[in-house]
Amino acid sequence: MQLTNNPCIYTFNGSFEGFLTVVFRAFDDKRMPESIVSRAAQAQLPLGEMVHVETCNDQAARVCAGIVERSDQRNLRLFHVAFLAESAETNMLLWRYLQHLFRDNCREYYRNMLDEEVYALIQTARQVRREAHRFQGFVRFQRTRDNMYVAAIDPDHNVLKLLSAHFRSRFPDRHWLVYDTRRQYGIYYDKKSVQEVRMEAKPFNLNTGYIQKQARSMDEDYYRTLWQHYYDAINIAERKNHRQMRGSMPRRYWKYLPERSGK
Amino acid sequence: MKDKVLHKLNILADAAKYDVSCSSSGSSRSSKGGVGNAKSAGVCHAFTEDGRCISLLKILYTNYCIYDCAYCVNRQSNDKRRASFTPDELADLTINFYRRNYIEGLFLSSGVMRSPDYTMEQLNAVARKLRKEYRFNGYIHMKSIPGADPLLVHEAGLLADRLSVNIEIPTEIQLQVLAPEKDFFSVFTPMNQISLGVMESKAERRKSRKAPRFVPAGQSTQLIVGASPETDYTILKLASGLYHQQRLKRVYYSGFVPVNQHDNRLPVIQKPPLVRENRLYQADWLMRFYHFSYDEILDEQNTQLDEHMDPKLAWALRNPHFFPIDLDRASYETILRVPGIGVRSAKIIVANRQYGRITFSHLKRMGVALNRAKYFILCRELPAATTAFYPEQIRRRLVKGSQDAGRQLSLKFEV
Ligand code: SF4
Repeated sequence: MQLTNNPCIYTFNGSFEGFLTVVFRAFDDKRMPESIVSRAAQAQLPLGEMVHVETCNDQAARVCAGIVERSDQRNLRLFHVAFLAESAETNMLLWRYLQHLFRDNCREYYRNMLDEEVYALIQTARQVRREAHRFQGFVRFQRTRDNMYVAAIDPDHNVLKLLSAHFRSRFPDRHWLVYDTRRQYGIYYDKKSVQEVRMEAKPFNLNTGYIQKQARSMDEDYYRTLWQHYYDAINIAERKNHRQMRGSMPRRYWKYLPERSGK
Repeated sequence: MKDKVLHKLNILADAAKYDVSCSSSGSSRSSKGGVGNAKSAGVCHAFTEDGRCISLLKILYTNYCIYDCAYCVNRQSNDKRRASFTPDELADLTINFYRRNYIEGLFLSSGVMRSPDYTMEQLNAVARKLRKEYRFNGYIHMKSIPGADPLLVHEAGLLADRLSVNIEIPTEIQLQVLAPEKDFFSVFTPMNQISLGVMESKAERRKSRKAPRFVPAGQSTQLIVGASPETDYTILKLASGLYHQQRLKRVYYSGFVPVNQHDNRLPVIQKPPLVRENRLYQADWLMRFYHFSYDEILDEQNTQLDEHMDPKLAWALRNPHFFPIDLDRASYETILRVPGIGVRSAKIIVANRQYGRITFSHLKRMGVALNRAKYFILCRELPAATTAFYPEQIRRRLVKGSQDAGRQLSLKFEV
């Protein structure tokens, strides 16, 4: 397909379906996107012609079907995970990738890791998965008065969706909520299924991740104190290696980790 | 009551910290009807200031001990604050940490209180409470107490995901000097019992899924490095045997930290031998993932790992006839031998060379350390003269470049 030379900036609502709708539109308009950004990120953009695309699930589904047809289900999943990196650069990478994928004749394009875009896609998905894996460990639940377990997180990538299966199989017998304070939505499990939720009130202190004292269960502060003491006691001072610690547990994650906060 | 637990936690976590193993990998257990699961890939929940991962609540049941091993903080002759948990306290602590996602499970070790049997029985009581009363399906790693009754060890194996018996001192003669109450018999008897149990249970479970699991994540052990005069060659040979004969999942190496007032059976050192420890981990890695045997890494003539370069590079420089490697044709195992190329990049190369020639820019993108790899691969992008192989020259160049001590101490493998 030939794309004409009057580029524009496409904006969308930030969802995966929204992004796929942009792809559909750009192909349809035969216009080369200069940039594809979610509306929330729009403020930081240089000026240019902007086209906002309303999400259309039907068109999104057709792009998905196209990806599966040209590669396979696993590759669609990979593509989706990479999208969760949520950056304008990633969006453009995904766009270029799809251009190649849909143009490819031998249908092996997506397998060839020597190709720059294919490799970059795999690498991006890997980074997102790596952060999701880290957060399997870095989520810190607090027990509420009504015996629910709640946690605040603030990851670089939009990893909540990748965490739900893990916590559902680990804590199937309690209600729990993991809330992304930057993206302002959470995943909530009610012992039956996991749902995405948005909250009007802001239950978490944005500096500490704690919920209000009245909302915490009576034993919450006690176990947190034990944990903080444990963290200090298990360290071997003679082997101090701050650099390695910060490499594995970067400073930007500390604010919601009670064992590191205030250090 | 609450202050009491905090007090015990401080003492018994502090006393457990020198045991280095903390991984929670290699098991799989689902939460059916209870709480928790154990996953095959380990999860770290935090990292302490020494850079180590906290995965499990690593703690002693008690730091009272009737023995007096020279290298141990908890030996009887030390004047220390002592404490013991009760099974209730420890189970409650574990489950509450677990529910808050502080930990992946419990790693329970202990000093020997009253007798090995009594101690083992206490550890089993904790695990039993967790599994039966709390229906806890998270990870449990228990120490098998040397000298405990085989029946108790067997029960522990049915409750735990992993069991370990620490050898600590790599030769029996030295072990007897430093830990007069111990010998290899007391260490290897339970170790062999466990490895046999693991094999039997695997065979049973192949016949019937209902057969009970016995130590599904296998067993591990720890060796203290630098408390006694063994060479790295002796240590690697021992480790290799443990992987092959006893089928251990992991051998951990713990650089000796002088924790006691000077004891003339132990060397006087300024700092724990962290570089040596790191080199041993790298060599161990070569045995487990890079198809190296211990006697390729070291031999009777070269008995000590080079502190200035990783063991894979050292091997390559001793074996110039093996190189250069043609990445477009060589087998996976051969490519793995190239310094600078790791498991992941070797796999990518082999799986993708059908699509075209492997170039420098591909390698760079894969994260291959080209500054090392370039001397060992056949490359059409460089004139032949610059790739000629002069081990001494390469050694000088690479070793100078890798003097950054901070990097060497990182446990990450320098491929
Ligand atoms: S038996 Fe264990 S706890 Fe007791 S002194 Fe020896 S190493 Fe330390």
